[in-house]
Amino acid sequence: MIIEKSSEWAEGLTKRLENMESWDNWTFYNMSYIIAQNNLITEFTGLQSPKYLTNLKPLEHQLKVAETVIERMNGKAILADEVGLGKTIEAGLILKEYLVRGLVKKALILAPASLINQWVEELHYKFYIPAVAYKKNTPLEHCEVVVLSMDTAKKSPHRELIFAQDYDMIIIDEAHKLKNHKTKIYEFVQSLKKKFCLLLTATPVQNDVFELFNLISLLKPGHLGNYEAFQSAFSASKHDLEHDDYLKELVNQVMVRNRRQDTGIEWTNRQVNIIPIQFTDEEKEVYEMILDLKNISPVFSGAFSMITLQKEMCSSKEATFLTLNKMRQNCTNLEENNYVENVMQKLMALEINSKAEKAYEIVSQAKDKVIIFTEYKASQAYLQWYLHTKGITSVLFNGKFNKNKRDYMKHLFKEHAQVLIATESGGEGINLQFCHHVINYDLPWNPMKLEQRIGRVHRLGQEHDVHIYNLAIDNTIEIDILQLLYKKIDVFEKVVGDLDDILSAFKQTI
Amino acid sequence: MYPQQVQQYLRTFFLENNCQFINDTDHYLTVQLTVDMDKRIMNRPYYWQYVETTGGVPSPAQLTLITDQTKLKENIKGELVHFGSPRLNQLFQATHKMGEFIQMFEQVEETINRPILTPWLGVNYKVSYYSNQTKETMYSLGVNLMNGNIITGFHTTLSELNIAPKMPPNAFLLPYVIKPIRGLERLDGVVENYIQQDDHSWADQAKKRWQQDMRVLEFFYEGMEERPESYEMEKTALQQQYEARIKIEIINGGLFYLK
Repeated sequence: MIIEKSSEWAEGLTKRLENMESWDNWTFYNMSYIIAQNNLITEFTGLQSPKYLTNLKPLEHQLKVAETVIERMNGKAILADEVGLGKTIEAGLILKEYLVRGLVKKALILAPASLINQWVEELHYKFYIPAVAYKKNTPLEHCEVVVLSMDTAKKSPHRELIFAQDYDMIIIDEAHKLKNHKTKIYEFVQSLKKKFCLLLTATPVQNDVFELFNLISLLKPGHLGNYEAFQSAFSASKHDLEHDDYLKELVNQVMVRNRRQDTGIEWTNRQVNIIPIQFTDEEKEVYEMILDLKNISPVFSGAFSMITLQKEMCSSKEATFLTLNKMRQNCTNLEENNYVENVMQKLMALEINSKAEKAYEIVSQAKDKVIIFTEYKASQAYLQWYLHTKGITSVLFNGKFNKNKRDYMKHLFKEHAQVLIATESGGEGINLQFCHHVINYDLPWNPMKLEQRIGRVHRLGQEHDVHIYNLAIDNTIEIDILQLLYKKIDVFEKVVGDLDDILSAFKQTI
Repeated sequence: MYPQQVQQYLRTFFLENNCQFINDTDHYLTVQLTVDMDKRIMNRPYYWQYVETTGGVPSPAQLTLITDQTKLKENIKGELVHFGSPRLNQLFQATHKMGEFIQMFEQVEETINRPILTPWLGVNYKVSYYSNQTKETMYSLGVNLMNGNIITGFHTTLSELNIAPKMPPNAFLLPYVIKPIRGLERLDGVVENYIQQDDHSWADQAKKRWQQDMRVLEFFYEGMEERPESYEMEKTALQQQYEARIKIEIINGGLFYLK
């Protein structure tokens, strides 16, 4: 075994004995001894750091996660608590513990750009960790703990600067962005040395089990075997999992996940309602005409563009119009062009948006703050205008807003407006516990996105039951989306564990 | 260390360094630094260079340190200092540097006309075990430089004695038979012996985990003729994560002339 020892003290002693330097002061000598004694880490196990964190009252489940990761998982883990249970706190506790124990000297944190300041603030305020937000000329060699975005990190010259450092710990927030092993960022993280490593995500599986394979292979290559072995063992088809229990067991060795009900905290309930909506005859006619487009022109034969159009038609004529108009310009044939124009005329002649009316109905019945999530910016703008004509105040929100604007919008929503209308990308990194009504105006393909949305309000600090309204128009693609969402939730539950209600009991009926 | 201990420590530290208190409460302190202390902890060498070359009037800084924010009612601006904060670590470092080597004499009553004092070398050790976990132990040892007797818990023994940096009048100091440096070697030997006798299942376990994780890693790259860079990277990471190391540090120590 390697024993490190320095001869510095012996040299210092010799100098004093030869009267080349003076002796020190007894008070400091004694203080120094007491400090060393106080700071001594007397046990291999157990957390040393929480008792010193006066600005933080960690919850039971957070402490347990930190202990499990350090003692059982040896500091390499996926932290996959449900949204709102404090994954950042858990990561902070683990980082702090390793810093206190001297096992980590330098740490790198990758987070979405919008969350960088939040990380820096929390580390400073709650953990007394002097983290630095990376800027162009930040001298990495002098920063113990640095936070930057994945987008910045993977690019030159930052990439090379990072590789030149020797990090003991890597923390990656919103790690589901690494689900695809063919991306540049995946390759970047793969080539980082990971002595200790935490991947934070509430949604380790979004679409299929290979995403989990990719994540775990970053953390501990080989834990789930190599790609070929994994593929032959676990996937006949992507959605059909054999050896579930075995896989679950392996996954649990590197992943911790708390659900709300495991935390021992009294959570308010989620009331999930599926609100079926009927198109008016006119809307239905336009929807059918759009479906027919693929028979009219090859421009519309692509499955993807058709799906987009159908989804948009379920959202608003404004959203549909933009796409339709763009695609019309690709039509070369006059006949085709005329048909599309006819559709567009009918579309713009529509006077009623049944879904928007339903949304308004919910908002006015709630008589309270409501968040509406939509997938389309055009629908977002339309909804604001529409609600305005009904005398309802609203603010808009999206992920491109910088921190100040986010905070300001949040403030406006809290103090002045009844409704906040957010696009998908606005889902992450904003906490709105003062609100407890969420309308999913459009449904995303991915159940985890729904969970992220709901997590904005159903988190620690929420005092009321949370009402969720999933709007779906009958006899349209939205019913298919609902079914697919259930299928995906099924995959998730098989390998990760139960998900909270995000879609309501609709499940039994399909 | 808890906030009140930190507060206590800061008071002693600045008091001993002849810094004056402007505010002195149980949850924050404002202290007027001396020139020497400013140079030591304020990290502004250019300022001092400027003052010294221009012959200007030095104006050392005032520092407000808050140890318990929760008790703060006053509208005070200052640095928050807690266990783990950079400022406190800096002061710990300073304290360490100011109390590394000591020479002390046991004070004897005047009635004894020619008290004889025996030289001891006392050393406080910190031994750290590192793998993917840590554990630290302190040993305080003293060796009698006349006869080579070694005692443990030396620092505790000292704190029960009346010792001071000044030699008592008329005292006769026995010249040492064992040179202090040889004494240090003997104490080092004792510490190494402690380490040898200790239970090292922690290292065995770390080794086992290391081997397990290596097997997993090998499996991932099995069949690849040319292994990518990431393989070597992971291997290094595993070594750094699990390799068992032991570090012996000396906190402080010195010569003690005791009855």
